[in-house]
Amino acid sequence: MYILTQKQHMIYIRRTDHPRLYTTMTKTLEIDIRSAEGLKLNRRLLKKKTFAVARIGEKSRPSHLDVSGGSSPTWNCKLEMPMSGTEQFIYIEVLFRTSSGREKKIGEAKIPTSDFMGRYSPEGHLNFLSYRLRDEYGDKCGIVNVSIMVKPYSTDEFKSSSTAMKDYGACSSQAAETGLWRPRSEPPAIDGYGGRIVTGVPVWCVLQRPT
Amino acid sequence: MGNCLTGDVAGGKQAIGGVQQRPTSTNNAGQNDAVDFFFRSRGQYPLFSQIELSLSASNLIDRDITSKSDPMAVMYLRKKDGNLEEIGRTEVILNSLNPNWIEKITVSFQFETVQTLVFHVFDVDTRYHNVPVKTLKLKEQDYLGEATCVLSEVMTKPNRSMTLNLHGNFGAGVSRKLGTLSVQAEETIASKTVVEMNLRSVNLDNKDLFSKSDPFLRISRLVENSIVVPVCRTEVVDNNLNPIWKPVCLTMQQFGSKDTPLLIECLDFNTSGNHELIGRTEKSVAELERLCQQREAINFVYPSTSHGRNKVLKGQLIVDRFVEKVQYSFLDYISSGFELNFMVAVDFTASNGDPRTPSSLHYNDPSGRLNSYQKAIVEVGEVIQFYDSDRRFPAWGFGGRTADGHVSHAFNLNGASYGDEVVGVEGIMSAYSSALANVALAGPTLFSHVVDKAAHIASQSLSQNSPKYFVLLIITDGVLTDMAGTIDALVRASDLPLSVLIVGVGNTDFTQMEILDADKGRRLESSTGRVATRDIVQFVPMKDVHSGQVSVVQALLEELPGQFLSYVRCRNINPVGAPAI
Repeated sequence: MYILTQKQHMIYIRRTDHPRLYTTMTKTLEIDIRSAEGLKLNRRLLKKKTFAVARIGEKSRPSHLDVSGGSSPTWNCKLEMPMSGTEQFIYIEVLFRTSSGREKKIGEAKIPTSDFMGRYSPEGHLNFLSYRLRDEYGDKCGIVNVSIMVKPYSTDEFKSSSTAMKDYGACSSQAAETGLWRPRSEPPAIDGYGGRIVTGVPVWCVLQRPT
Repeated sequence: MGNCLTGDVAGGKQAIGGVQQRPTSTNNAGQNDAVDFFFRSRGQYPLFSQIELSLSASNLIDRDITSKSDPMAVMYLRKKDGNLEEIGRTEVILNSLNPNWIEKITVSFQFETVQTLVFHVFDVDTRYHNVPVKTLKLKEQDYLGEATCVLSEVMTKPNRSMTLNLHGNFGAGVSRKLGTLSVQAEETIASKTVVEMNLRSVNLDNKDLFSKSDPFLRISRLVENSIVVPVCRTEVVDNNLNPIWKPVCLTMQQFGSKDTPLLIECLDFNTSGNHELIGRTEKSVAELERLCQQREAINFVYPSTSHGRNKVLKGQLIVDRFVEKVQYSFLDYISSGFELNFMVAVDFTASNGDPRTPSSLHYNDPSGRLNSYQKAIVEVGEVIQFYDSDRRFPAWGFGGRTADGHVSHAFNLNGASYGDEVVGVEGIMSAYSSALANVALAGPTLFSHVVDKAAHIASQSLSQNSPKYFVLLIITDGVLTDMAGTIDALVRASDLPLSVLIVGVGNTDFTQMEILDADKGRRLESSTGRVATRDIVQFVPMKDVHSGQVSVVQALLEELPGQFLSYVRCRNINPVGAPAI
């Protein structure tokens, strides 16, 4: 897209302010899969019902289905997932469901962990991030919007992280509002746009949806 | 058009102007800007927040012999040419040296300009007591004193009030205490009213031959003489004759008043840009509210090709939800303690020309006339300085060879090794002149270092929980050497409380700048695939315009409150100490 007229010789060394990046301590991510735009399948705008999956290492969590369909779905699906300190990327996949019930992948976004744990993001800060989705051939197929917060460190979390296989589906309300820049964790309450759970689809995460 | 879609038309199908469903998305605002400029050039200025000023005075001098003074206050706005334009007058308070005037004076708040208010206080003569104040001739009244302040100065105070000393000329050498004037400012509630509606349609007419229509709504305000001012547009719902649109959020400033008639058009989206009308209706916001309460639908009509009656269609518009609320305004945040912190970065590359030659863009004119860089610093800084309590501004240069012989792409303008802040706009100007004398122009032109510096400062305020929003002004004459690096830096910064204003000086081709300004281009995307969370960049070329006209820098500043609000609202950040609405 952009033609570089001159090679960049300077090497920018990013200074990491987080010593925790070098430990294997597990962190808890609060991920809100918000929406997507311009979803395309074979270069055509999508009209099908879609859902998203957040994947960290071997763990993955799906969102509910956006039953309104179309190329700009809204999920506002809030998840909590553990993440090892050694992970360098997390992934957001967007899939659609065919009329016969099969699930097919549209595209995937690769999110560097430094984008929400790097030098611009203190712990407890809510990051609003957007990423280009690319299909299996590497072509652009839309944009996904998420918000990610690294939950602040607490003693309870330290004890719970020692249990390796603990399920984080039971969301605790440890994250109290302590500062001006700690916004409320509820997604925006908009009637009729929270989406509904389709019967028969297993839901493994606690979905916090507006009424 | 459903199956025939080719190319990237996703941007054209997004909502514009009133839809806040996806706070992280940037709308295709280019069309809105074109429309706004079109109407502005024809005298249709956008609506501003209305401010009501209450005045009171203390310890006025006594000019009457047999009784106390009968004071009245007159408020003026000082124009750029120095003339005073009268804005309003209070009533006359009889027999008082400490009046509390009841009449409020209303003025529009314009963030992008310095609005200097001048107050004159008069003692009205007894024989004019029964005369309406509008007909009073001020030359026939006794002059009590005068005071001056800037409107944004009042709005940034915690309680939105200022007390000013009255002064005046009462003879050679005489210096008397003339009393004080207090100004209390309040933003009208109507300025902050927001209406949110869920709209849908049923049984629309099909305009596509081989598939169903792709409908969207366009809402416009009807002004006199049948002038139509577009207000907002919904997203396109593909291939659907019973569409449900995402919520529409309109401010009172957009539709004028609840009784102003709005034109609601339902159109079929065409990639050619020639959208076909499906149907239309004219309703005010109050009428839409009543439709929602009574669960009624309104039929669209199609204008008749002959000069007869409109054809009533079977397609209908339904208001599923109607919510009216008051939301926090920019001025609410500012008066609660939020600050706008100004930062400036100046281009010191060799393409500007030797500062000692008159053709240089950095030429220091002996007559005192400002060059383009100085003009941009003054025009932005003199507005923004009122929103920063300590007025300490980081100031950098880029592309210059400093005293140690290295080319630096973010050196301190004050020449200090540590500490990049200067005090006030005067501090920036003197640091700029000093840097010109000590730094050799070099190259290349890189923005990413100063953007990273600004982003670092902004992220520090996040760690400290400071209620601050940062504004970086970049003044440049040339094209970028590292476009990809600049885009990467801007995308990284787009989730921070930061806006970047770019002013282009000289006559270079500014195509790259237009790409960075997402108003005219697409959403910025970095080399790693990260997309800008929101649009934080504004660019204008600083052409030489006749003095007194609306400055292009004002067009830059005008968008700042909107960028600030889009940042705080999507994070549910309230004014300091304020509860959630």
